[in-house]
Amino acid sequence: MFSAETLDVAVNQGLAGPLGRAALLVGIIASVFGAVASIYTARESLREEEARTARLIPRFAALALLAAVAAMTAMEYAMITRDFSLKYVQDHGSRSTPALYNFTAVWSALEGSILLWVLALALSCAVVVWRYRKKLSDPLIAWAMAVMFIVLAFFFLLSFAPANPFGVGAAGVTDGPGPNPLLQNHILVLFHPPILYLGYVGFTIPFAFAIAALVTGRVGEGWLIETRRWTLCAWGLLTFGIILGGWWSYEVLGWSGVWAWDPVENASFLPWLTGTAYIHSVLVQERRGMLRVWNLSLLLATFSLTILGTFLTRSGVLNSVHAFSESDIGKYLIIFFGVIVAVSLWLIAWRGDSLRSPGSIDSPISREGAFLANNVLFALFAFVVLLGTVFPLVIEALQNRQIVVGEPFFDQLSTPIGIALLAMMSIAPVLPWRKASEEVLRQRLFWPAWCGIGTLAVSLLVGADGLAALLTFTLGGFASGAALRQLVLATRRQGWRGLVGRANGGMVVHIGVILIAVALAASNSYTRSQELSLKLNTPAEFGGHVFELKGFENEKTDRLTAVKAIVQVDGGKSYAPAITKFVQMGNNIGTPSVKSSWRYDLYLTLEPPVKSESGEARIKVFIKPLVMWMWIGGGMMAVGTLLALFPGRRRRPTDAVSARVDTGKAIDA
Amino acid sequence: MKKLNSLPMWILMLLLTVGLLAFGTLRDRGPLTQQGRIDAISQQLACPTCNGESIYVSRAPAAEAIRNEIAREVAAGQNSDDQIVAVIERNFPGSVLLPRTDGVESLVWILPVVALVGGLCGLGLVFRRWKNAALLHASDADFAIVEAALQHKNDVTDDENI
Repeated sequence: MFSAETLDVAVNQGLAGPLGRAALLVGIIASVFGAVASIYTARESLREEEARTARLIPRFAALALLAAVAAMTAMEYAMITRDFSLKYVQDHGSRSTPALYNFTAVWSALEGSILLWVLALALSCAVVVWRYRKKLSDPLIAWAMAVMFIVLAFFFLLSFAPANPFGVGAAGVTDGPGPNPLLQNHILVLFHPPILYLGYVGFTIPFAFAIAALVTGRVGEGWLIETRRWTLCAWGLLTFGIILGGWWSYEVLGWSGVWAWDPVENASFLPWLTGTAYIHSVLVQERRGMLRVWNLSLLLATFSLTILGTFLTRSGVLNSVHAFSESDIGKYLIIFFGVIVAVSLWLIAWRGDSLRSPGSIDSPISREGAFLANNVLFALFAFVVLLGTVFPLVIEALQNRQIVVGEPFFDQLSTPIGIALLAMMSIAPVLPWRKASEEVLRQRLFWPAWCGIGTLAVSLLVGADGLAALLTFTLGGFASGAALRQLVLATRRQGWRGLVGRANGGMVVHIGVILIAVALAASNSYTRSQELSLKLNTPAEFGGHVFELKGFENEKTDRLTAVKAIVQVDGGKSYAPAITKFVQMGNNIGTPSVKSSWRYDLYLTLEPPVKSESGEARIKVFIKPLVMWMWIGGGMMAVGTLLALFPGRRRRPTDAVSARVDTGKAIDA
Repeated sequence: MKKLNSLPMWILMLLLTVGLLAFGTLRDRGPLTQQGRIDAISQQLACPTCNGESIYVSRAPAAEAIRNEIAREVAAGQNSDDQIVAVIERNFPGSVLLPRTDGVESLVWILPVVALVGGLCGLGLVFRRWKNAALLHASDADFAIVEAALQHKNDVTDDENI
């Protein structure tokens, strides 16, 4: 079957390359045939004929998943066995990289990250097929599958051609530099990228159903209900991925922050903003049959923004420390983005008449009114982030000069929007559907408002100042009160089931968001820092703490040289901020050491140059209030999303769903 | 509870909040420490070799050098924060992270305001349209239909209970 020569080449070059390329080719074929089978099934079903091709859809989905798993396994095998016949391994692998970071090195650069995307998308595709295996003849499901297969085929193609990780490298290479040093000193590298990608990719499912609804003309609420949990899952994973990214930044980068408004961070934040707007406004459509065009647009924008973000971070058009290397895939991604936007807009215009919503909002002071206002704020937030991210490109195009739009710009504009969103979170949960009377509002907002005032008073007592921070604390207290009120009422009525379901799980998510907002406001506004020149066994004081340099620890391996300063804090435990120099890369990488408590973190970094021989070290100490609450808030958001995924109490059809509307005539008169 | 919920109580709560916020905003916390000033200035400037990272964030040697320069300026105590930023910008053009408010760069400030005003106007228009639609009063015939439907539902429920 194989000639001796072919086998010789395979053995010399390693099997991973040919296997990986073959797997990607199989993946392309499976997804293209899957798309064709799905479209054929949909067309036949519309003619009310049983399509035999429906039975092929699961097979193509399984084959595509198998191909993606095989390609990823081949890449991992190549990286783990140090198969330096592949260019990707030459560029990002190393004989001295530890096993964990060698494993994660597969997604540490552009080609591997696209492969991870392919795997996540193939997995999503297979899961959706399995979930709807008995309904594949339904045109809505068949069209949704067609869209998913088309997107999958595109990413398989990207991975096969312009971003192929299985390309053959130069002959005779026996070692490489390893992954970026920042990607080899924290275990979160194992979790943050895959979870973030699952979130990105997860939005393909509601997008596919939205397109299917437009194509089939079934633009009612059926597809929304079908995709409710998929959307929440995708949103939850994206949220968790972003929070893990912040944690990683805090633990690794040494500047004591979690978010720097870097273009790559913004690329993940943009779909999160539109996705968050969607999961609120979709409730209005489910309950009142309204905002169909708006919800479709938000969903299409969310998916488009994941592609745009991928373009911005992988094409080399934007400067970012996070960005992947320049590559050819930019043009394919921007064309794909253009096609998605054009097709989506055309479909919405085509179905314009049937998308007209039958209902109307009775009063702005209502739950649906609050959701609309919240949507305007989220859309504005997304616009500001997008504008700030791409504005340097605009200036370069217009004036041929480079500018940087950085953190101060985003902070100035996002602070008022964030405060306005907190205000909405304070009021919206207590509002009834349709219309709220002044009396109802006064009654329901009373205790939450006192929570806000109480929080403000406590903040002032502990020394807080500054309008933005104080407003955040006040509204944080107010919004927590409103969320807790809802949870208390629900658990009183339904026991533990009062914690599950979309509305109640959503309130747990709100509390998580509030904790993060308060922690961010506190840590950004009241961080104190000081650079201390420490000498061995000579204590120095800062911020009520005593720091004493106890010595140094040096580590030298083939891979790196590291120096750690052993600093004892308050005569107790010692901390070890370090500087590591990676032999292959040459640059210094700082590793902070953090003492965490519920009130504040002590964040220590070792500043270069280190004079260990003379027993001196420059240690920068940051005192950062409430940072731990950011991680607790992130955990609460994850738990809240899980609770929201469980079905809540079913409403009986005879239950009142909203406040009575005053029509000028009593209905029971 | 009704007394607690009264309008005067809400006005009192509002005044209390405004008063506390004003107190917290206006109280004097003293000048920034030297390190505080260094951090504040370095947050406004981009590191010239770090792909958009600020001097504050970056650990690159170039950022370290500029941080030391800022520290020297702050220690000298002769220039304000804005003057120090201007000095650094002269040496490294395009390093200020905040876009200017004139010329084409002002668009980055104007467009969000335009978007906000547009969004609010759109929201107002939509509510107005819906309000006008909701003003249509139900006729007697409409009420008769609803009553008949309710009667029918009650009959069905009674039958099911039997």
